[in-house]
Amino acid sequence: MTEMNNGRGGRSGAFGDTVSADLASGRAVDLAELYALDAVTDEERRTIEQYISTAPAAERDSFYERVRQSRETLTRTFTAEEEPPAGLFDRITAQLPAQDAGRDTGAPAPSAGSATFEGAGEVSDDELARARQRREERRRPAGARRWLAGIAAAAAIALGGVGVGSYIADQNDPLNQVVRAGDLREASVDVAGGGTATVQISSSEDAAVVRMKDVPAPPEGKVYQMWLIPKDGSAPVSQGLMDAEALSKPAVVEGISSAAALGITVEPVGGSESPTLPTVAAAPLDA
Amino acid sequence: MTLLREGSRSGHRIPGGTAKDSSPGDLCLVVMDTPNAPHSEAPATVTETPADVNQRLVALLQQIAEGDRTAFAEFYQLTSRRVYGMARRVLIDTELSEDTTQEVFLQVWQNAAKFDPAAGSPLAWLMTISHRRAVDKVRSAQSATDREARYGASTQDIDHDSVSDEVGSRLEAEAVVRCLGTLTETQQESVRLAYYGGLTYREVAERLNAAVPTIKSRIRDGLIRLKTCLGVS
Repeated sequence: MTEMNNGRGGRSGAFGDTVSADLASGRAVDLAELYALDAVTDEERRTIEQYISTAPAAERDSFYERVRQSRETLTRTFTAEEEPPAGLFDRITAQLPAQDAGRDTGAPAPSAGSATFEGAGEVSDDELARARQRREERRRPAGARRWLAGIAAAAAIALGGVGVGSYIADQNDPLNQVVRAGDLREASVDVAGGGTATVQISSSEDAAVVRMKDVPAPPEGKVYQMWLIPKDGSAPVSQGLMDAEALSKPAVVEGISSAAALGITVEPVGGSESPTLPTVAAAPLDA
Repeated sequence: MTLLREGSRSGHRIPGGTAKDSSPGDLCLVVMDTPNAPHSEAPATVTETPADVNQRLVALLQQIAEGDRTAFAEFYQLTSRRVYGMARRVLIDTELSEDTTQEVFLQVWQNAAKFDPAAGSPLAWLMTISHRRAVDKVRSAQSATDREARYGASTQDIDHDSVSDEVGSRLEAEAVVRCLGTLTETQQESVRLAYYGGLTYREVAERLNAAVPTIKSRIRDGLIRLKTCLGVS
């Protein structure tokens, strides 16, 4: 479907399907906006840059002029602002090279050297150590981070069809303890394939209750499997499987304190040892 | 400060059916790109008085290039809300956004000497670095399914702007709203998906079930229209 070639949307000359085709047909300059917007793949970016680097000066100049104008335009148009976390600047300065070493090389910053900060007083050893430790912690769990990236995408916490066999509760014990907890937090979210999910999280009970509404049954031969993704970056831990019937019941997930997130995947009937990515849904538990 | 209206206000048509058909004079403080999050308690930031701040940023970058950490701190203070705000919109995840912001400012520290005022404004330079970083991250970290969700994310929060009381900033926001109104809805959508969704033109086409050449044109034409309307030169 990506190869459809019936769209002549451009008033000033139609594009082709690929960047290479556009370059071949002399439309390099018309790619300036896509290029400035990072709306091309890395490979296409390289192809464009290569072409432009050997293009006639006039063509090259007008390409870069349009790139520049596009960037100014985007900078003025998309102006989202949000206060970064306190302490981020300290973590950044902690990574600056001691003097000018490593400057202007384009290489990644060397790891923390001495990190005094003129104008802001000395950074204490403790702070440095904490910053370093935090960086290391943040580096380690590549697995968990990857999951979280997916979760990030699910912005509004899209919880897929979940319910966990072994924890399906009627209206008794763990479930009620969770929903009666004083620190209950609740989020209702749309499920990607339809329906909604409500997650109630209680830190004091170290548990969450997940309820599904109008969520479609898993595909033939598949089940939903729910996972807790540990904060420490270790492998996701299965919380159980879920078929069509289980979807109608609330599920209690316990032991959430060590989990960064909860994820749901579609797996073959019987479940899997480790999740088959991508998740159909995921939710941060600590946010 | 006098509230100066931009002269070209009435000079742009608003295509039927878009921009809520409001009259151009309506002060519609809805900008498509601002986060839900923190509002107007914003400290002085780069949107307040663009010309002055840009000048200041140029000077700071020159000092940073010489290893001046105080200048670096001021630069961060003036721009970090923009960098982090954009990262959050693209990546959503706070940790990844934080990582991105950190990488961006380390890059600023290292590459300040490479900044060339003749080649563009310092803010555009910074946001170009930032967007590229955020997009790299989102593309390496996320699957096609996740992108579907991102589409949802990028369309959901077309929301209230954190427009401050600062007149310059409000005028700028107004101009942006007005100029966005000169784009067709499909142009707006395509540009927004690419910018905040981090999608390639091909992904935008798939997402919108449109032909690839059509999407390329929409993005190009949309950006050019915006540029013209905003008077970017």
